[in-house]
Amino acid sequence: MKDRVKLRLERIIGVMGPLLFSLAFLDKRKKYLWIVISAGFISMVSRMFVPLLIGDAVGSLQKLQYSSVEHFALLIVLASAVSGAMQFIVNYGAQYLSQVYSYNLRNDVFGHILRKNVGFYENQTSGDLLSRTTMDIEATRNYILTTLAQLIPTIFMIGFSFVALLILKVEFAAIFTLTVPVLILVGLIFQQKQRTHWRHIRIYYGLMNEHLQENIVGNRVVRGFSAEKQEIDKFSETTEQFFQENMGIGRLRGKYNNMMPLIVGAAATIVLLYGGFVSIINGSNIGPLVSAVNIFSIISFPVSFLGRMIVFSENSKASIMRINEIRTLEKEEELSALPEIYPNGDLSFRDVSFRRGDREILRNISFEIRVGEFVGLTGRTAAGKSTLVNLIPGFSKPSSGMILIGDKQLNAFPLSSLRKAVAIVPQEITLLSGTVRDNIAFGNMNADDDEIKQSAAIARISDFIESLPLKYNTVIGERGITLSGGQRQRVAIARAILTKPGYLILDDATSSVDPETELEIFRNIKKEMTHTTVILVSHRESALKFADRVLKLTDGQISAVPDFKKAEEELSTRPEHHDIHAGVDRFATGL
Amino acid sequence: MIYTRELTDLPLDYDDQEDQLIRTGKSLPSFSRLLRDMFRMRRESTEVIIAVMITAVAGTLYPLSLGYAINSVIRRDYTGLYLFASGFFLLYVVQFFSNWLRTVSSTKLAQSTIKSLRDRSFQNLQHVPVSFFSKVKTGYLISRITNDAETLSEFLTFQLPQVVSGITTVLVSISIMFYKDFSLTLYALIVIPVLAGFTFSIQGRVRLNYLKTRKTIAAITGNLSENINAVRTIKAFNVEQRIQGNFNELNVKNFEANMKASKLSSLYGTVIRIIESLGIAVVIIAGSMQLQSGVTTVGILVAFVIYVQEFFDPVVQLSQLYNSYQSAMVGVSRIYGIIDSPVETMPGGTGRKREFRDSIELSDVSFSYGTDQALNGIGIRIARGEKVGIVGHTGAGKTTLSNLILKFYSPTNGSVTLDGVSMDEINTEDYRKLIAPVLQDPFMFRGTVYENIRFADSTVSRETVDDMARKFGLSEIFAGLPDGLNTNVGEMGRNLSEGQRQAISILRAFVRNPEILILDEPTSQIDPDSEKLIIASLREYLKDKTLILITHRFSMISLVNRIVVLQEGGLVEDGTFGELLDRKGIFSELYRIQYGPVDRYPI
Ligand SMILES: Nc1ncnc2c1ncn2[C@@H]1O[C@H](COP(=O)(O)OP(=O)(O)OP(=O)(O)O)[C@@H](O)[C@H]1O
Ligand SMILES: Nc1ncnc2c1ncn2[C@@H]1O[C@H](COP(=O)(O)OP(=O)(O)OP(=O)(O)O)[C@@H](O)[C@H]1O
Ligand SMILES: [Mg+2]
Ligand SMILES: [Mg+2]
Repeated sequence: MKDRVKLRLERIIGVMGPLLFSLAFLDKRKKYLWIVISAGFISMVSRMFVPLLIGDAVGSLQKLQYSSVEHFALLIVLASAVSGAMQFIVNYGAQYLSQVYSYNLRNDVFGHILRKNVGFYENQTSGDLLSRTTMDIEATRNYILTTLAQLIPTIFMIGFSFVALLILKVEFAAIFTLTVPVLILVGLIFQQKQRTHWRHIRIYYGLMNEHLQENIVGNRVVRGFSAEKQEIDKFSETTEQFFQENMGIGRLRGKYNNMMPLIVGAAATIVLLYGGFVSIINGSNIGPLVSAVNIFSIISFPVSFLGRMIVFSENSKASIMRINEIRTLEKEEELSALPEIYPNGDLSFRDVSFRRGDREILRNISFEIRVGEFVGLTGRTAAGKSTLVNLIPGFSKPSSGMILIGDKQLNAFPLSSLRKAVAIVPQEITLLSGTVRDNIAFGNMNADDDEIKQSAAIARISDFIESLPLKYNTVIGERGITLSGGQRQRVAIARAILTKPGYLILDDATSSVDPETELEIFRNIKKEMTHTTVILVSHRESALKFADRVLKLTDGQISAVPDFKKAEEELSTRPEHHDIHAGVDRFATGL
Repeated sequence: MIYTRELTDLPLDYDDQEDQLIRTGKSLPSFSRLLRDMFRMRRESTEVIIAVMITAVAGTLYPLSLGYAINSVIRRDYTGLYLFASGFFLLYVVQFFSNWLRTVSSTKLAQSTIKSLRDRSFQNLQHVPVSFFSKVKTGYLISRITNDAETLSEFLTFQLPQVVSGITTVLVSISIMFYKDFSLTLYALIVIPVLAGFTFSIQGRVRLNYLKTRKTIAAITGNLSENINAVRTIKAFNVEQRIQGNFNELNVKNFEANMKASKLSSLYGTVIRIIESLGIAVVIIAGSMQLQSGVTTVGILVAFVIYVQEFFDPVVQLSQLYNSYQSAMVGVSRIYGIIDSPVETMPGGTGRKREFRDSIELSDVSFSYGTDQALNGIGIRIARGEKVGIVGHTGAGKTTLSNLILKFYSPTNGSVTLDGVSMDEINTEDYRKLIAPVLQDPFMFRGTVYENIRFADSTVSRETVDDMARKFGLSEIFAGLPDGLNTNVGEMGRNLSEGQRQAISILRAFVRNPEILILDEPTSQIDPDSEKLIIASLREYLKDKTLILITHRFSMISLVNRIVVLQEGGLVEDGTFGELLDRKGIFSELYRIQYGPVDRYPI
């Protein structure tokens, strides 16, 4: 029982939680906080004068003292002007502080997002991250704005109302004191009942987002398999659940939210009756009564607002939790803590293992690649080739063993130097919206036109780009949607080449490129990038035959493909066949 | 330029549309359409209106009952006080119930409207032409259907009823005031023109400020969304600092835009407060003069003071509503934009598979995504049961050709026919039941491997999937997965290797058992051993089926009995493997390169 009371009290105090959280992001502007709060105080004091003055004015009218009325009218305007001016400081200052907060927080969270390692992203959906960085930040900003601009002044106002009532008549203040706990109780019950609904709403909203994303990006699959109806039904199911949860909240809101003004109204009626009877009996001035009823009518809105703030604060605290989950230092990389050293030398793997959960994907792998070598890496589908090459730029760390460049271990290099030296063209290519030039120059903004053209030429994409009316200024759509599969891959190769890497990893980077173009690309790389160490992951012999030697990954272990060159010679000297079956079958056996 | 050339036939220029709407403030058409949509729910909308009216009337009556109660006090009339105080309370009770009703029915009205808008736009997205998606950004569409629809919720549930109630309050209070004391009312209304003039004079600026804040926040969201999706690329190229710098720039712009907007709106609040107090002062002074001449009573004067205060509440609220009205209207007109996007015209369907008897024929087909010709005068006839390979350099137009056969696009010139019937006259759904494609980019939905394979047809049993995987030698590819085929593939299939994704995409098509298979480089990421197994089983599987196979890998060529070669959008070779090899054209060149040694082919 005591715990429950404590919990409830904590929740009430918790309405200030987000504001406390925001302090960390207000840096030296924290001092403005006091200005805003003081302005809120003065504004409320002067505003309180208005009903008092109205009461006095009416009182003097009742006493037929008409001459003092103008005096009161002037004071009313004056009080309002002061309160208005202060209100300006409050509104503007609150907006300012809340914007400073969201500005700093956004930069901070974005910094964390950029520092998260690749492992972090494996368990995250982009939709969820996006909603944390946009909706959640905006929700808390809004809450903080409301706290400063409305909640704090409201609390002052309620305090002053109490004082004013106390001055007017102790009994009025007593009636007021009785209503406040009742109101808070209603607010808390309301909040508790809403909670699960809000949680569900968040979940369904997320589902809706994810479903849309998939449906749109995968629209060709949906159409190709004529799954439109099924998709529509699925979506409509989610929106229906979303609807139901919202209705649940609507019903609660209907009851509890509107109960608050009713409670205030009941109190006002009691004041009116009590004050009225007393006034009739005593024949006293009705001024205080008018003021008191007026005060009640003024605070009826702020009071129900207070109830709503308790609910908001819950949501806002949930948002802060979600934001803070990103802001932990977990799974973050230190990009440039160490002094810059440019990796240089042979690449060697010594006893490297990699496990994912309890699956061992790479087992005690050891091999060495000399500077300037062009090495092929092959192996069956899902053998772990991509996993292996992703260790080199430090996307993931081996579970055991070590990787060296020259005589230094990988973790002796700052990640920024390492990634400057290693360029990777991944299997799944991400192009960004923008022009072809933006995309090629992504990793090296300082490159001049000639360099860009040269890398495009090496990647065999320059002819195509030149054939476009706007050439390098052509805007490619989202995810490179307006390019063919092979064109996308070649833009990505050009992008990697432009960074002039010491180590170039091509992870099946030409799978959609025809053999002839592929040949030209590898030729160019060999000719133009003689000092670059190249690791080529591929299933295709036509690609692998460019390699000086080929490594094969089987069951998590690496082996050299023996006599690779010889095998190839043999194949090339075979007579041309017109019997395709024989040819194909010989070839399809693989290495 | 690819992008501009496409924008020319964009259904609606979304950004400009928003811009224009806010700049001119012409949002009435969308608003009235929204109202019409809402009024379709007769019962709820009637309930809302009635409830709002009752609330408003009760609200305007209460100062009056308060005034009378006070008059009773002055008159020392106990019963009067008792009566009017009860009336005073009764009005609160009435308001409680009418507000309750209003909240529930307006929630229902708002949420069903939103649901219907969402459902309708989603539905429409299933039927717009495929080309729509290369013109409009995914993030754009998602945020319209989720976010914008959500901003409507606040507007429809609370603010719209508030407008109705505000207007009712103002009208009722003015009538009561006129009825009670004509000349005092005129005094009370003196400040109205000042208020209206002030409000109107700053509205244009408010709109522009608002536009700016919206644009800057949209830029932030867009930037975030792209960067989150491209985070691996950012890391690979080590450009975190630059990206963070760009983000900071957008962030600063948003901050500045908001502060500018806030200056004006804060000022507005202050001025309104002062105008309100002027109104009260005028009423008091005028009232005192009338009291002196005995025309009015103290109670009435009190009621008038409260009226003036009450009166300003809806006005202040309405002006605050303005921004939210604007944003709701921008949102809703964009949702209507999606709902209204032209869909593919579709002749009536039978709901059944269409029969495929004879052939698919492309005659003199040309196609362009914009200005460049992607396909040029293509003529091919693919007979039922034929196996055709499509070969060509990268960018030659192979995928584009398959897009036409899949009816994703229609040719700009020429025609595609099925059994002599033009595609335009065939119901897309019926037609697509004949086909199963393996697209060049395998796409994965969230869920397990099973769910992805059975994506199109959940009636396919797991056993069938297992059998198929075994039969095509693909089970081994999935063997390493922690939970086998029950493993979750992750967002976009990220927990799988690229080859595993491709294997899923192949099985997805095969379990469909279609009459026509269109495979676009189905095994580009699959190892030769597995590929061999696939080929071996495919031969049997393809019996009686028609195959269209796009490939760079000639290992698969053994499956086809005819090869078509594309070159820069044109059909340049067509024949059997042997014929083409003898011709020493593009095909034989590509073939030699793949199987010959490096040195034989100087550049
Ligand atoms: N959505 C699109 N919008 C504009 N242009 C496009 C679009 N899709 C493809 N193109 C262009 O049309 C041409 C043909 O592309 P297509 O995808 O058909 O080539 P492809 O033969 O399949 O090539 P690849 O072997 O590289 O996949 C290319 O020049 C490409 O840039
Ligand atoms: N993010 C991930 N989460 C969980 N498992 C993963 C993830 N990425 C890869 N795997 C698993 O690790 C294994 C090896 O995958 P990897 O991508 O390294 O294979 P690969 O040799 O590159 O295959 P492919 O030839 O198909 O590209 C696969 O079984 C795959 O399912
Ligand atoms: Mg891989
Ligand atoms: Mg293609």
